[in-house]
Amino acid sequence: MAGLARGDTTRTRPDAGVAVTARGWSWTHAERERPAVAGLDLSIAAGEKVLLTGPSGAGKSTLLHALAAVLHDDEAEVHGQLLLDGVAPDQARGRAGLMQQDPESQVVLSRIGDDVAFAAENLAVPREQIWQRVREALTEVGLEGFGLDHPSAKLSGGQKQRLALAGILAMRPGLLLLDEPTANLDPEGVRQVRDAVLSAAEATGATVILVEHRPEGWAEQMDTLLVLETGGGIRRRSPAAAIFTDPALRQELGAMGLWVPGRNPLQELPAWPRVAVPPDGPAQDAGSVRDARSARGGMPVPATGEPLLLADGLAVGRHSPKAGWRSTQPAAPTLTDLDLVIRRGQALGITGANGAGKSTLLLTLAGLLPGHAGSLAATAELKGGEAGAGLAADPHEWRSADLVARIGVVFQEPEHQFVRGTVREELALGAQQAKVPGTSDPLFTEAQVTDRVTGLLQRLGLSELAEANPFTLSGGEKRRLSVGTVLSAGPPVLMLDEPTFGQDARTFAELISLLREHLDSGGTVLAVTHDADFLRGLQAEELQIGELEIGGTDRAAPGADGQPGGPMTGEQPGAPGGELFAAVRSLSWLGRRNALAKLIAVFLITAALVMTIDVVSSGVVILATLALLPLAGIRPAGFLRRIWPFAAGAVLAAWGTAIAAEESGRVLLDLGFTTISEGSIALGLALGARALAIVLPSVIVFSTTDPTDLADSLAQQLRLPARFVLGALAAMRLLGLLAEHWRTIGQARRARGVGTHGGAAARMRGTASQAFGLLVQAIRMATRLAVTMESRGFGAGPRSWARPARFSAADLPVILGGALIGALAVTAAVLSGAWNFVWT
Amino acid sequence: MSSSNRTAAAGRGTGTHFPARSWRWSVSDIVVASVLAVASGVIFWGWNLSYHLVGNLFVLYPPVETLVHGMWLFPAVLGALVIRKPGAAIYCEMVAAAVSALLGSQWGLTVLSSGFMQGLGAELIFLAVVYRRFSLEVAMLAGAASGLTGGITYHWIVPMYAYAPLETIIHIACFALSGAIIAGVLPWLATRGLAAASVLGPLASRRAHREPRLSLGRSHG
Repeated sequence: MAGLARGDTTRTRPDAGVAVTARGWSWTHAERERPAVAGLDLSIAAGEKVLLTGPSGAGKSTLLHALAAVLHDDEAEVHGQLLLDGVAPDQARGRAGLMQQDPESQVVLSRIGDDVAFAAENLAVPREQIWQRVREALTEVGLEGFGLDHPSAKLSGGQKQRLALAGILAMRPGLLLLDEPTANLDPEGVRQVRDAVLSAAEATGATVILVEHRPEGWAEQMDTLLVLETGGGIRRRSPAAAIFTDPALRQELGAMGLWVPGRNPLQELPAWPRVAVPPDGPAQDAGSVRDARSARGGMPVPATGEPLLLADGLAVGRHSPKAGWRSTQPAAPTLTDLDLVIRRGQALGITGANGAGKSTLLLTLAGLLPGHAGSLAATAELKGGEAGAGLAADPHEWRSADLVARIGVVFQEPEHQFVRGTVREELALGAQQAKVPGTSDPLFTEAQVTDRVTGLLQRLGLSELAEANPFTLSGGEKRRLSVGTVLSAGPPVLMLDEPTFGQDARTFAELISLLREHLDSGGTVLAVTHDADFLRGLQAEELQIGELEIGGTDRAAPGADGQPGGPMTGEQPGAPGGELFAAVRSLSWLGRRNALAKLIAVFLITAALVMTIDVVSSGVVILATLALLPLAGIRPAGFLRRIWPFAAGAVLAAWGTAIAAEESGRVLLDLGFTTISEGSIALGLALGARALAIVLPSVIVFSTTDPTDLADSLAQQLRLPARFVLGALAAMRLLGLLAEHWRTIGQARRARGVGTHGGAAARMRGTASQAFGLLVQAIRMATRLAVTMESRGFGAGPRSWARPARFSAADLPVILGGALIGALAVTAAVLSGAWNFVWT
Repeated sequence: MSSSNRTAAAGRGTGTHFPARSWRWSVSDIVVASVLAVASGVIFWGWNLSYHLVGNLFVLYPPVETLVHGMWLFPAVLGALVIRKPGAAIYCEMVAAAVSALLGSQWGLTVLSSGFMQGLGAELIFLAVVYRRFSLEVAMLAGAASGLTGGITYHWIVPMYAYAPLETIIHIACFALSGAIIAGVLPWLATRGLAAASVLGPLASRRAHREPRLSLGRSHG
């Protein structure tokens, strides 16, 4: 620890910039042959702003994670030194803040004030200073307009990243580590985050190390450009301005597949549109379209191919038009009155503000979401002539086996689409699943499937990786594979959702190239995108939709658990946690009471009920609970809607016991293998009433208790281990997001031809595959969230609490009330002679 | 592969560096276990929709309903197989139970006791193999034990049923059988699948797909 002594001499003010030094530093992950970073020698001055770049796999993220002290690997091989102001990163907790790519995993807590306070708490900042820091940090990133209780789930992607920045700034760090902070954002979000980061760096004097695929807009503001060498140290170090002025450097970065400001990654591709008219069949239409375009100097013109899909007065919405069995009213559509003709050979980009409903429109056109109003019809051309004549007009009514050969959907997250263990099987799946309409005969013979797979492997440049697990591919390879899986069954229409988000220039060019081939062969491309380069690359027409109110919630919707009772799509009931994790405290009398007091009250009531199986004690509790509804601000009608599934469960419990309990009293029905007697029916009724009585108080208490408050109480008052309580709390915030993933994975499976329809076996396989897909996403999200939490000082050492959890005088009636109800139930049962003690 | 060259970093400090077999939970362990438990809650929710149909199969003879109740046990075994630290089975099962209580479970607060007991059953099996074996038969035993302790809880500790002795035995036996399959085989397969997909990077189970299926007669690692 020689570094410790030196460290303290260099700092002048607590939040001044940190100097970074590496001496022969190498890191090899366990299980890897080659080091992620090897022999790194580096010196970054305090306050220097560094743009860190290098080819995919050069160890950029590894270096940032090491600097943030979140790189733990028991079996990793490490050499050399990596120092922040002369000390090891894990001795410099709070000095470095890390921002990652995915906005969803940068938020830890449900309310923005708590989220910013989280890091300060972890560093054991005294309570009276925390809120001051929180307000300063929120002001610094321009989020001071929201209240501290504003739900973080309702922020847009760009706002979430700024919130993350505020959380980092609350630590007063001297080093900002930014790992692709804007790759998942639309242009407006990119601008917001960039401005916030640069202004914060200016204000605090912090050192900045930025990894960013698309450096335009950033590079002008940076001091230094560092290019990492794959499996080595630094390949090049130059002033950041050289990225604009040094042709050799620009050439070098371009050759690595990186974005270079002002350099078109498509310049290496063959000229397009092709002049020659493609030879046979349907491509002739497409050829004439291309010719028309070239005649206009490459400007897009309306396509003139055969119509494939016709939308007439179509209205679309993420949530089902039908009222779910639990939701009270049907969801309102996001977009209405759409008239659209999708033609063969057409390239169409759907653009517009966040929340306008672009993705919803795409999923509806793809037959994955039901329309709300108007009509969507596939033409005979798309259905496939005589063979497809029997298909319904609306693609949403098609079997997935018919869909897969007609409309291919590429999801924003490639992993949502993966269902097989190898790249080869993944590419074969679509072709195997495609069926002749109205029959279960395969569309392709086995030999044809094999041919298609071989051809696709070559086209995608994935032949070497044919036996690899799809989840283990690089980002660019996954993107190519996700397009390939869709091409497998040869659908004429490709629909893509933000296909270029977070992709490097090489993958971008490869994607454009694949899509140009598809267009050249007479195919249609429909894409939701914010990427103007992408639209130009395909000479696509642009459909700009939704001059709707900005600040809509679509963008935040993946985590839109903030919308109370927001109904979900299909026949599914409301998203779990819909109203429970609303981050809005119940303002009722009960809602303002201490969470632990409420928990104790429910515990006392439950204990009384558990001791006996009788109708009297259960009746007392049910009546008492109903009488207390006003205290919880719950209307009886809403309460009944909420509890009726439990009432149904109670009936089942009663029935089960009536059949299976010991025979007593008169036998009413003899089924041979069992009997129903008077005694067993009475016992069943008592059990059913008790089941209902047990659930009612907890419904009241949990619907008036905020999980954050509960966690505060559990950790501070009950002294449960804070790491576990906060870990569980952070995970619960992901509940709505996981439910959203579950839906999207289900849609992606239908698009791949493995819908959860059909026999019981197919259904079970479908559900199992969907569950596995969810587990993958859950662990990915958890891993990123763990990095976020740890980089904000979580998990080491004592912490402080921004909000104290303690009992007040007003909590006494809650506990006494619980005790009283429990005692009343017991007394009434004993006095009436109904008492039926269970542990005898 | 010798472990002698796998050393703590010079310059990374030694204070927080744990030996390879540390039983202390890292931040990743805690967050992944928590999210797995919450995701299990989401899977319950998806599965509950099917249960409306499945549950009707047992209307004629409810004691065998537990044949599908292994669905409510899988977080315990999955958590233990993925995290491989003491307490993982109990923690995951209890957090999953707490999530279901928050969402509104028909068992109210008593899910905490049944969650604890179901987790305990699985935990005891992993304790018996000193958290060193995570093979198929261990997973199945853990799933069965979870069903056993779950059944014991429902009938004797926090009684929710009042069945005759024969029905009670059938009820618990079906629970254990279902646990062995749904909460034993399936989590084991899922863990291997997750390891093969390389998503378990920071966790002790990242090599699960390369381990022998059975550990009978083998000494582990």
